[in-house]
Amino acid sequence: MSILLRNIIRFVFLLLIQVFVLNKILIDQLVSPYLYMLFILALPFNLPRPAVMLLGFLMGMSLDMFMNTMGLHAAACVFIAYLRPFIINILSPQGGFETTQKTPSMTSMGVSQFLIYAAVLVFLHHTVFFTLEVFGFKNPLYLVLKIVLSTAASLFLIVLYELLFFSRK
Amino acid sequence: MRNLIIFFRRYFNFFLFLLLEVICIVLVFQNNNFQRSAYLNSANNVSGKLYDKYNNVQYYFHLKATNDSLVAENTRLHNTLGTSFDTMITSNGFRTDTIRQYSDDTLHKVTGTRIRRYEYFEGKVINNSVNKPINYITIHRGSAQGIRPNMGVISSSGVVGVVRSVSENYAVVLSMLSKSNSVSISARLGQGKEMGSVHWDGESAGYALLKDIPKSAKVHKGDTVVTSGFSALFPENIPIGYVDTVTIADKSGTSFNIRLKLATNFYNLQYVYVIENLLKDEQQRLEDSTYKLIK
Repeated sequence: MSILLRNIIRFVFLLLIQVFVLNKILIDQLVSPYLYMLFILALPFNLPRPAVMLLGFLMGMSLDMFMNTMGLHAAACVFIAYLRPFIINILSPQGGFETTQKTPSMTSMGVSQFLIYAAVLVFLHHTVFFTLEVFGFKNPLYLVLKIVLSTAASLFLIVLYELLFFSRK
Repeated sequence: MRNLIIFFRRYFNFFLFLLLEVICIVLVFQNNNFQRSAYLNSANNVSGKLYDKYNNVQYYFHLKATNDSLVAENTRLHNTLGTSFDTMITSNGFRTDTIRQYSDDTLHKVTGTRIRRYEYFEGKVINNSVNKPINYITIHRGSAQGIRPNMGVISSSGVVGVVRSVSENYAVVLSMLSKSNSVSISARLGQGKEMGSVHWDGESAGYALLKDIPKSAKVHKGDTVVTSGFSALFPENIPIGYVDTVTIADKSGTSFNIRLKLATNFYNLQYVYVIENLLKDEQQRLEDSTYKLIK
C-alpha cells in the first residue's frame, strides 16, 4: 500500500473512531481520551513542514466540524504539527530515522523513543486543547488534572493502536 | 526589499504556523458569538447525514427506553384531554377552542379571544454529548420544518436547551448542560413561586445549581423547580429539576445555593420538542424599546 493511500485511510479511520466511539465513551468529566492526533504523529518523516501543518489543520477542522468546537481541535493540531520536527530532531539518532523507515512508529523509532515522542506531543496537544476549551485559569488544579489524566488515557490508546497495527512488521 | 523576502522565506514555517493558529483562534472566538449562521458545524450536510446514519443503528438499542418515555408522555397527554374532565361549572361557557370563547346564551356572542401563544414541534435527537464544558445536541429538523434560532427545547420530562443554529434539515441545540454565563434559565420554585436562575456547574450531567432563591423561601428536598415563563423561551411550569441539597453560601448572604437533580435525563435523550413562542418578537420589541427609553 502506498504511503499516500495509507495516510488517507488512516485519516478517515481515526476520524470515525474519534467521533463515533471515543466521543461516546463516558468515563469521567476529567478523562476524555483522544486518538485522532495519531494521524499527525504518524505522518512520514520527510514530509515538508508546511504540509504537516496544513494536514494538521485539516484534521483538526474535520473533527471540529463534528464536535461543534470550531477551531479548538485545529489550534491544538497545528500547534503539535509545528513542534513535531523539533521533537523528532531531538530524539533522532546520528543518521536520522529516514534511512531505516519512512514513518514514525514503534518499530522505526524503538519503543521507548516512540513513547517519549508520543507522550510529549500528546501532552502538548491536550494542554493547548483543554486550556482553550476551559478558557481561563479559574480552577488550575482541575485543568492540570484533566490534562494529565486525559494524556494518560490517550497514550494508552495510542500504544494499543500501535501494537495492533504495527507489531507484525 | 531583498532582505525582507529572504527573511520571510527563512521563517516561512513560523509565519504559516502563526497564520493557521490565528485562523483557529478567530474561529474559536467567533464561536462564542451566540447568534451565528450555521456553517461548518454538525448541522451541515456531511456530518449531519453521518450522524443520522449512526443514530439509526444506535436508536435500536434505546427502543425500550424510548417506548417507555412515549407511553409516559401519552398518559400525561391523555390526562389533559377534555374527555378526562367532568364539566363542573356550567355557567362558564363552552369549552374553548384555541381561538375564541362564546357566550353561553342564544346570542352566541364572542366573549373573548384566546390566541395561540406556543407551538410545539417534535425533533429526533441524532447527536448528543454530556461530558464537555459546553454540550450540543443535534436534532433532525431544521429551517425547512419551521425551526429558527433561539427557540426553547424541552423533552417529555423537562427543559433541554435552546436552539442555537439551524440548517435546512438539522438544528444544533445548545444544551442546558453548558458551563457558560450566557446559559441560565429563569426558574421558580413550584411551591413558593420564588424566582431564581439555574446554571450548570460542569460537574455531572444529572445536576445543576439554582441560585438567587431568597432565604425566606421554604425549600424542601424533592420540591419541583419549574420555568418561570418570563424568558419568552419556555412556557410556564415546565419542570427543570427537583431540589436535592440546600446550602447557604455564606452566613451574611441572602440567598440559598440549591443543587437540583435535573428533570431531563440527558444520557438517553431520543426525542425533544422545540417550542415556538409566537408572541416572542412582540415582547422583545416592547422590552427593548423600553430599555432604550430609560437610557
